Amino acid sequence: METVPAQADLYQCPVVESRTVGAYHLIAFVAGEIAAVARPGQFVMIRQSGPALDPLLPRPMGIHAVEADLVKVLVEPVGKGTVVLTDARVGDRYSVLGPLGNGFDLSGEGTAVIVGGGVGMAPLALLAGTLAGRGRDVRCQLGFKTRVQAVAAELFRDVDVDICTEDGTMGRKAMVSELLVECLTDLGPAAAEAELFVCGPGAMMRAAVETAREYGADAQVSVAAHMACGVGACQGCVVRAGGEYRCACNQGPVFRAGELEWR
Amino acid sequence: MAVNMESSLGPLRLRHPVINASGTFDVLAADRVLAADLFTDFPFAAYVPKTVTLKPREGNPPHRLYETAAGLLNSIGLANKGIEAFIADDLPRLGRLPVPLIASIAAEETNGYGRCAGLLDGRDEVAALELNISCPNVELDGKALGCDPFLTASATAQARAATGKFLIVKLTPNVTDILVLARAAVEAGADCLSVINTVHGMALDPWTLRPALGHVTGGLSGPAIKPVALRAVYLISRELDVPVIGMGGVTSANDVLEFLAAGATAVAVGTACFRDPLLAVSLVQELEHQMELRDIATPGELVGRAH
Repeated sequence: METVPAQADLYQCPVVESRTVGAYHLIAFVAGEIAAVARPGQFVMIRQSGPALDPLLPRPMGIHAVEADLVKVLVEPVGKGTVVLTDARVGDRYSVLGPLGNGFDLSGEGTAVIVGGGVGMAPLALLAGTLAGRGRDVRCQLGFKTRVQAVAAELFRDVDVDICTEDGTMGRKAMVSELLVECLTDLGPAAAEAELFVCGPGAMMRAAVETAREYGADAQVSVAAHMACGVGACQGCVVRAGGEYRCACNQGPVFRAGELEWR
Repeated sequence: MAVNMESSLGPLRLRHPVINASGTFDVLAADRVLAADLFTDFPFAAYVPKTVTLKPREGNPPHRLYETAAGLLNSIGLANKGIEAFIADDLPRLGRLPVPLIASIAAEETNGYGRCAGLLDGRDEVAALELNISCPNVELDGKALGCDPFLTASATAQARAATGKFLIVKLTPNVTDILVLARAAVEAGADCLSVINTVHGMALDPWTLRPALGHVTGGLSGPAIKPVALRAVYLISRELDVPVIGMGGVTSANDVLEFLAAGATAVAVGTACFRDPLLAVSLVQELEHQMELRDIATPGELVGRAH
């Protein structure tokens, strides 16, 4: 992936929007310095400002959107730390460290095939808009379990999105890997020049990467991991890549599919 | 009243009493990510890098981290590049830091401590050595040698024989009587004690009810263990004549004051660095302000006040 300049810092950022979007929670905060330099696929470490010691640590959130001096993230409330984040009210402050991580490599020219699963769609929205803005051919497929999650696909504003749910309550009743096969088949010989951008649950990402390989397409994968520091200090957020453990925070979160080892 | 924040730790002159705990602040990694110029404005009064071992260690399988109530459970497994790569790649750069460097070493066998200490003894960049004796030990079936007073004494004595540098031994709290281990280290030649390393613990994933960590058990750090650490610092510093570096759950200037009063000569910030990598900057400012308010002229004046 590309080399990113050393420009992360910790900011106290006022929350200007906090609302549920189906199963998720959209939070926008003022962070002009981050918004000015953030690239698709990068993330921020966020927690509510203040001395409270529980939850103790910030949570990594992929940057979902950047608008003027606003940064937006999409939180899935799954554990104590993420549930507390969704309690934010307009006017509250978040402690935000970022931007962090390498981000996606945008230098390719073939069709960009974006594949998202669940809340993994969040950072792909910024990616899709950026690539479309550069005139690149972009195809988007998003998969969800059910409708309450799939309604968040409305957050993809700049590109058309194919949606599927496992129970058929919104979009096609299918797994996103089925949509991906149709997309790559539809591309014909251009599929081998296509590049996948994948973010979602492990099994979904693995299926997408295997499909890409069958069609000869490259893939970039954004992984999620339990993180403490976000800056490469704690060595906690490792994934298996290139025959060794690598930190998702400062050697990722985006990896080439070929170097990741799936477990 | 003017406050003089300078502190001494044996032969080490410190700008203030706050240093980092090993493994919680990586200046070389942070310098690649953060906008701050860490080599000019280094936030700590001394720098302790992550522990290195004789041979490279890959570390434990993920998950390596799990947050608990006001605490963090980790099982990193001493992942490191090995002491030779540390000396070749990192030491020249770490030597440019404007503060004393305290190298942290560990070994899977007691004689490895002597060999690591010997390899660093001639390096001018290194001001002091910290022995991490919580490394899994092959002579103890993978248990930490720091749980055994004889092996602790043996590792300390071997390092002592290999170096004239200021020698710190970092004690584990996972023992019946930490004073026994503290005495063993000091009698074997330790100049200073770091108190404490992480507390054994485990967590279950609330959904699967399976161990949350890849290594099943891990070490607990963060505010949850502060009372455990404070007690150990208090007991050891009251009993023994060597300086103590207090650590365990420090997140604020008030915590630093408490550790000093409990008997620590210097205080390390660990897990709190993960909340804010530059926390030490504001913490030291607040510490100075608090000392001014309380008419404390120097950190040294406060050491052991609770005894």
